[in-house]
Parts: sequence; structure tokens; C-alpha cells
Amino acid sequence: MDPLLQETVLEKAGSIVRKVGSFLKMESYYDIDDILVEGQRVPVVFQQAVNGVDIDPSAETHCVEPGSKVELPYWLAHELHLRKVAKMKVPACFNQRTKLELGADGASVDLRSRCLYFYEFGCKIAPLVSDRDMGSFLLSAFRTRYQKILAKAHNAAFTAHSKLLSYLTKEETNLYEAAQSSMAAFKKWRIGGPRFERASVLGRKRKEAN
Amino acid sequence: MMYGTKAIQLVKEIANGEKGQLTPFSSDVFSEVIAECSQHFADLRSLIRKMQEAGLDVETTKNEDHYGQLIHHLSLVRNKRCLMAYMYNRAEILRNLVWKVGSEIPEEIQEKLSHSEKEYFKKHSEALKSYMSRVVLELAVDMVPPKDPYIKVRVLDDMGEVELPSDNTANFARHSMHFLKRTDAEKYISLGKMEELTG
Repeated sequence: MDPLLQETVLEKAGSIVRKVGSFLKMESYYDIDDILVEGQRVPVVFQQAVNGVDIDPSAETHCVEPGSKVELPYWLAHELHLRKVAKMKVPACFNQRTKLELGADGASVDLRSRCLYFYEFGCKIAPLVSDRDMGSFLLSAFRTRYQKILAKAHNAAFTAHSKLLSYLTKEETNLYEAAQSSMAAFKKWRIGGPRFERASVLGRKRKEAN
Repeated sequence: MMYGTKAIQLVKEIANGEKGQLTPFSSDVFSEVIAECSQHFADLRSLIRKMQEAGLDVETTKNEDHYGQLIHHLSLVRNKRCLMAYMYNRAEILRNLVWKVGSEIPEEIQEKLSHSEKEYFKKHSEALKSYMSRVVLELAVDMVPPKDPYIKVRVLDDMGEVELPSDNTANFARHSMHFLKRTDAEKYISLGKMEELTG
């Protein structure tokens, strides 16, 4: 095999293994996406009173009363839920309407506007809330959409699908781009070309030196 | 504003940037997050003091002050994670760059780096250099063996008389073309000062 292609393939394989690995562990301390997933808001109901904090925008003092309903980022809601300080509820992006729409025509639902990290967030939420179908629902939604994304990514020009792209979650966009870049790498391997290029971190355009 | 919102700004900066690209170091937001951490720490301590003054056991009492401490503690840990991830992901880009362009920080990214990042770049490149001289191997060259040890290049930037790693000197005037040892040319191509000609 051509070294360039081989390198590309190995790189791809490596990144997939890393992805799967981090997906199974569900976290990596420095992982940017994981940090953003944990920043998603979850509605909670407080079970205990809390003093000296400003997390309830409707409260006039620095206190939270039991029974207050607040939206908290996952990283906070999750810990409070485990300690029974607050009870997590299913976030709006996994509501009944979304489920029905995904069940009817999964591939044309705009998931991006609901939650950029729909699947990752769902996986974190699933074991904590009372909704038992969450796991299988996420899987079947992903399955339907995955097929369509790959078909589009391999078949047509990038720009023709800007509408599709604006519907995709982060994970799906990564898949779409991986498919596109592997096609590009394959074409480059067939045609040949310079092996060395300017380091990409320095920017693509060269300053005009007069 | 919800706790940890500022820190998310830093992380989003990395996420929204093009992959492998550096944005200017956000020292303002960075120090605001650190100030937020200090505030959480102060709030945490005053809640502990309040419990101690009431004669309660801080370790076992689970009252509303305890849960307040918990939230401040969690917010601190979260902010720390965001700060660390910001630094770590930028440092990773810098490390990769050291392997490509050697010891000098290219001027295109000079002003994007914080002082400590410049230090880091220099120290990492020194460490790499001293290691390579100890094992007597040029490790930064391309991993794939070339089909031809020589390549044809065009000079994109006037560099004048340059001493090459293989001890030859050459006059690199702008637009001039040269037939060079691949290992001599690699660094200049990565810096964008030459391009490889094929065909």
C-alpha cells in the first residue's frame, strides 16, 4: 500500500479507537467535547435547602428552598442528584415530541438546534432519569440518521448539503467530515502530489512579502 | 450568572477554532475565571467558619450550609477542569509544532502565545534537541522513507545565504528553484518558505 494512504488509514483507525475508548469510559479529563457535554442544562427540583449560593435566579436571597425548580449545568446537577440534594428531570431536548418526530422521519429532524451533543448528553442522562426507553431510543435514532449521512457524504459535493449539515449534531458532523476527508485522501493518493506542506497551524494564506 | 459560565467561554474558544489552529491567548477571560475560583474558595471558607462557630461538626453535619459548600467545591473543580483543558489543548498544538519547525517560534503565531507558552515552546524544543543529540538521531524528519533523497523546491521568501543541516550553503533568493536534499528542505517547507515541486 502507498505510504500516504497507509498513514491516513492508520490515523483514521487510531482516532476511531480513541473515540470508542473515550465513549466507553464516557470521559476524559481534558476532552473539550466532554466538557461541553457536561455544560448542558438539566432541569432539577431541589430536595434540600442550600445556603450561601447564587444558583436560583428567582430567589432574592443567597438561598435555595426545597422544591425550587432550577436549570443547572449537568456537572452540577449530576452530583447533586447522586447525593439526593436535587432530583434531575428529563431535559427538554428528549421530550415526547422529539421522540415522535425522530420515530416518523429520523433523518430529517433538526437535532443540532435541540442539542449539539444529543447522543453524548443522552448517554449521560439515561442512567439517572426515570425514562427507561432512553437508551434504545438514542440507538435507533442514530442508526437511521447514520445511514443517510454516510450516503450523502460519499456521493455528492460538500456545498449541496448545507441544509443537511445544519441539522447534524457534533458527533454526526464528525462522521460526515471523516467520510469526506477519507474520500479526499483517496483521491489525493490516486493522483499524487507533494508530500510536504506548510504547517497548518501557521494559517493557510501566505503573507505577501514585498 | 450561572457558575462556570465564564470557563465555558474558554473551552468553546478551543472547540470553535479550526482544528489544530491557535487563537490568541485569552488572558482576560482566563484571569476572570481564576478570580471566580478565588471567590468560590472564599465563600466555601466562610460557610465552614459559620458551621464551626455554631459548634457543628463540619465533616458529618449535612445541613444547608454543608450543601452550599458542596456547590462551591464542585464549581471550583469544574472551573479548574476548564482552565486545565484550555492550557492542555493549546500546549498539544505547540508540541506538535516544535517537531515540525524546530527551535524558533514562527512569527505568525508569536503574538498569539502567552508568556508561559513561549517558555514552554523553547524548553520543549531544547529538550528535544538535547535528546536527539544524545541518541545521535535526527528524529524530526519525515517518518515515511522517501522514494528519492532529493526534491525540487521553489523558494517563496527571500532568505539570502543559508547554511543547511548537511553543511552546504545555498543562496535562497525569492522564486529561485533548487534541487535539495529532502532533509534539508523539510523545515523550510513546514515554515512556508519553500514549496515542493512535483511532476
